[in-house]
Amino acid sequence: MPSNPSMSAAIVGAAESNKIGFIEEGTTATRLHLEAINNVCKQTGIKPSEIDGVFSAGFSPQLGEHLGIHPKYLDTTAVGGASFVLHVHHALAAINAGIIDVALISHGEAGFSARKNRGNGTNRAGADDKWSVGNQFEVPYGIAGQPSNYAHAMTRHMHQFGSRKEDFAQIAVTTRDWATLNPRAVMHSKETHPFGGPITVQDVMDSRLIAWPLSLLDCCLVTDHGGAVLIASAEKARSLRTAPVWIAGAGESMSHWSMLEMEDFTATSARASSNTAYKMAGMGPGEMEMAMIYDSFTVTAGITAEMLGLTPRGEGPSLWADGKAGPGGSGIPVNTNGGGLSFSHSGMYGMMLLVEVYRQLSGTAEDGINGLPGKQVEAKTAVVNGTGGALSTTGTLVLVADD
Amino acid sequence: MAYTKPIPDPEEYLNKPFWDGCKEGRLMLPRCEDCNRVHFYPRVLCPYCHSDRIDWIEASGEGYIHTYAVQHRAFGGYADETPFVTAFIDLKEGDRMLTVLRGVDPLKPEDIKIGAKVRVEFEAASDEVSIPFWRVVE
Ligand SMILES: [Zn+2]
Repeated sequence: MPSNPSMSAAIVGAAESNKIGFIEEGTTATRLHLEAINNVCKQTGIKPSEIDGVFSAGFSPQLGEHLGIHPKYLDTTAVGGASFVLHVHHALAAINAGIIDVALISHGEAGFSARKNRGNGTNRAGADDKWSVGNQFEVPYGIAGQPSNYAHAMTRHMHQFGSRKEDFAQIAVTTRDWATLNPRAVMHSKETHPFGGPITVQDVMDSRLIAWPLSLLDCCLVTDHGGAVLIASAEKARSLRTAPVWIAGAGESMSHWSMLEMEDFTATSARASSNTAYKMAGMGPGEMEMAMIYDSFTVTAGITAEMLGLTPRGEGPSLWADGKAGPGGSGIPVNTNGGGLSFSHSGMYGMMLLVEVYRQLSGTAEDGINGLPGKQVEAKTAVVNGTGGALSTTGTLVLVADD
Repeated sequence: MAYTKPIPDPEEYLNKPFWDGCKEGRLMLPRCEDCNRVHFYPRVLCPYCHSDRIDWIEASGEGYIHTYAVQHRAFGGYADETPFVTAFIDLKEGDRMLTVLRGVDPLKPEDIKIGAKVRVEFEAASDEVSIPFWRVVE
């Protein structure tokens, strides 16, 4: 049983932005956040670098980036005015669990200035804020959607490690092989999609360029999708008729939000989040018998394989080489549903990772979903990694089948 | 000829010295008075030492290609300009900027050299806003 969180954490400081109220000269939500953070850090003597959990109503990766910190707990719960009370609750749980030591809960909202600023900004974070970092320094250069961003990482990987476009293309080919075994996959066959069914490295190379070096078949689908999972306490889990899949380890991190702040274009925070997860699990990458790796693009999966310790540095695509991560391959099975590349990807693919890994580790894949049977791998352990933003935020799970 | 691509609406507080400089043909960058490091984009707190004492310097306008991509799909005014090359530029003074790279052939991406020297130039997108772009100079 986990310990009772009561008394396990306390509020240790509180501050406001330098100015509050009707700020006639104008301000932005970002400035209000950062001034308050600066002030509470000075008040408490806690350095921003000591903050390892960031909680805000929808603004946490931007705050982490602005501070130049890489927290291991991110919460952007945005449920209206009560959000910050909920954040206290979440932070208490995270601290009690021993995941973090210092939680920052931050608020900044330029309600008065937003009107004054002709609606430009900034009362909120995000792409619809005309004064966001993206709208100031990325959009003017034709950056539109993630392919235009992620391509820069692939170019840098090819430059730094001598990897080739063909090496990444193999990831799409092997992932498609899994999709041909999954009747629910969009690219399962010619019956499910005109361009479905098996593909070759040459097919990927010949598909039209989206953002060189990324071609169409290096890029994920854009679909409609829904999914859900249930998580229960150990006691409850043992009382149910479904097979439990145990959460042995979990970790999260971020390196940046905007690609402008991606220091190393060939590395992501999956290194940090998987280190946390492996450590919690007391297991290492060599003990992982399957992997579910976010494949918004071939380069996402390739780089992440390195970060998860499944291949040496610079050799991520080798996990898929010669189809060894595919059906009947000599390596560990990877993205057994057909991935975001060939199964389904609605924009936020993380849920699909969870549903598939549950099906495989619980042994229920053959039972099928919606009347359509899947396939089965023999894995008893799995590493699952999700990537968000522009190779920005990551979460890693180490999962173990019930014995 | 009218400028058809996205024109930023200059943020009036943190970024004002940057956009004012662009209009005058000068690349202005924020520098921390405590650790002396230059950062980009502009911040409330220095991302390296978390000081709130930020000053501005006029940069050399020189940099180097860190990485690049060729955009074959774009939207709005940029849709008419595909393919075009985007690049992250390592600024001589430190940190990075994104740009549409000038002086390169988007149909020969393999010929573009990571590490190549680039220089900033400014295009007046409107009466109010000039946008910095970088051009390969070697
Ligand atoms: Zn500093």
